[in-house]
Amino acid sequence: MTTYTIRRLLHLIPTLLGVIIITFTLGFYGPGDPLKYQLGEQIPPDPQQLARLRELYGLDRPYHEQLISYVGGLLQGDMGTSISVQSRRPVRDMLGTGLGVSMQLGGAAAILIFAIGVPLGMLAAYRHNSILDYVIVSFSAMLPTVPVFVLAPLLLILLVLQLKVLPYSFGWEGLFDPRAVLPLFILVIGPLLGIVRQTRSAVLEALPQDYVRTAQAKGLNDWRVMTRHILKNALAPVVTSMGFVVASLLTGSLFIESIFGIPGFGNLIYDGLRSFDYPLILGTTLVASFIIMFSNFVVDLLYPVLDPRVRLG
Amino acid sequence: MSATAMGKVTTLATPPQKPRSLWGDAFRRLIRNRMSMFSLVIVVLVLVIAIFGPALSPYDYTKQDIFNTSQPPSAEHWLGTDELGRDILSRLMWGARTALAVALISQGISYGVGALLGAISAYSGTWLDSFIMRMADIFMSFPHLLLAVFVSATIRRPIADGAYEIYQQTGIEIFRNTVMLDYLIVFGALALASWPWAARLIRGQILSLREEDYVLAARAFGATRWQIIRWHLMPNAVGPIIVAFTAGFGGAMLAESSLSYLGVGIRPPGASWGSMINESLVGWRMHPHLVAMPGIVLAICVFAFNMFGDGLNDALNPRSSKG
Repeated sequence: MTTYTIRRLLHLIPTLLGVIIITFTLGFYGPGDPLKYQLGEQIPPDPQQLARLRELYGLDRPYHEQLISYVGGLLQGDMGTSISVQSRRPVRDMLGTGLGVSMQLGGAAAILIFAIGVPLGMLAAYRHNSILDYVIVSFSAMLPTVPVFVLAPLLLILLVLQLKVLPYSFGWEGLFDPRAVLPLFILVIGPLLGIVRQTRSAVLEALPQDYVRTAQAKGLNDWRVMTRHILKNALAPVVTSMGFVVASLLTGSLFIESIFGIPGFGNLIYDGLRSFDYPLILGTTLVASFIIMFSNFVVDLLYPVLDPRVRLG
Repeated sequence: MSATAMGKVTTLATPPQKPRSLWGDAFRRLIRNRMSMFSLVIVVLVLVIAIFGPALSPYDYTKQDIFNTSQPPSAEHWLGTDELGRDILSRLMWGARTALAVALISQGISYGVGALLGAISAYSGTWLDSFIMRMADIFMSFPHLLLAVFVSATIRRPIADGAYEIYQQTGIEIFRNTVMLDYLIVFGALALASWPWAARLIRGQILSLREEDYVLAARAFGATRWQIIRWHLMPNAVGPIIVAFTAGFGGAMLAESSLSYLGVGIRPPGASWGSMINESLVGWRMHPHLVAMPGIVLAICVFAFNMFGDGLNDALNPRSSKG
């Protein structure tokens, strides 16, 4: 297990480097001279001041030097400084506060997704081909095709404007504020239905197996067969979709946080795009792909634990 | 008794009128599926609107009317007008054109590139194979949409500057057309984000089909390489690839709208459902229909394309479909 973990970690390093090189090349070098665009819109730049600013940001050095110093900075946790005229804060600090908020929202969403999704999927499989199953399956086929930036305004119109059951939720006062209900709901709904489908098909696959018949023949009731025998076997493929859940939570937060005014990670991406803040865009993209890689790594480690039949390769 | 026996013999002896082809079977399975037929109607409708939209639309989609802004649906404007007084129905029709063009071309590029790299990968099987697959791994460790957003945000300025320079030197109008540039950037960004999936699929198809018994049998009978590719590999590989291509279509439409919603896709004066939603989101309390209309159209289209993809999958890969 330890050698397996170490090997997976070593496998991660070249991918990590590739990701950094691609994002750096596109994000820092791609726009040519980010300062020109930043300052050019405000005031006609004074060539002398521009040269001084470039030196300050290290933009006058050749590409490979800039890349090496960026990677060196990353290793020390330094992701550069925002070039947005309003803030000029270190990108690391902005990401820190943003991730703090998004982690709360995303963590709560992930717990809800698995806590609701797995039982619902089991229920749909248990009542296979019933109306309940039909309803669950057709909802899970339909709702994920509705993008967040469509679902959010439609729900706002329905719940706030027409039915008036929720107050207009804009802003962030922590997870236990009523304003967090609607964003959380929208964040949960897409990946939740994916998990329901996954669980349903995994349980359906396990149902006709011999060990299920044996357990039933022993006289165990359905509940015990489900939880003790089927769930244990069906859970492994469901856990694999954790990577998918994390990716959709990341993408979802980009739209939800900007619509509901939540100062989280997704809102930082949105702000970066709006203000052409390249160091910030670069930082958010890198962190997002780190998160994806890390969650895939965790899945790889968990899988053999959940399903001992899988040989470590 | 003897008559029925005779009848049986004759029916058995009669050769089938027409040989049943792979595609004929798939087509029969497809039209038997009610859900995919229903979605096919929507798909065809969207296609017709996208192709003939400019001729069908009641108004010019950029024409502004400051005396009729944010109107509810009426006899003159069937779906009302937006905050600049533009006819929503016309803009939705042009938006269909944008969504379909982007989906078709970006999918085409990523499958073209993916097929090439996947085939090289599968046939070389050496360091080149592991290099290409490692590149695919790297591109796949970004969240798909975020990579597309990142690419289109970063390459926009240099491309716009370059195009402007070309315009100043050559004077060719098309290089000054910002909507054209938006299209190019979106094609590139979406193709860059989704080629690894295509490459992996095609590499996997080639590798697994090469080992099939019927390919071995054909080789044993002395079939040439080209015969094997033409009669055995292609018909069997094309099905899954067509399915993946169609299944990704809805996703590509969604990605285009997402980019445009974020302001890094097709921007005004170009018409896109995503940017229509973004423009109207500020006033959602006053004019909810402006947000709802493009949103509902987008959702229905993506749903129809996904359902059609599912139906095609069941029709072309009957073994993989679950009862």
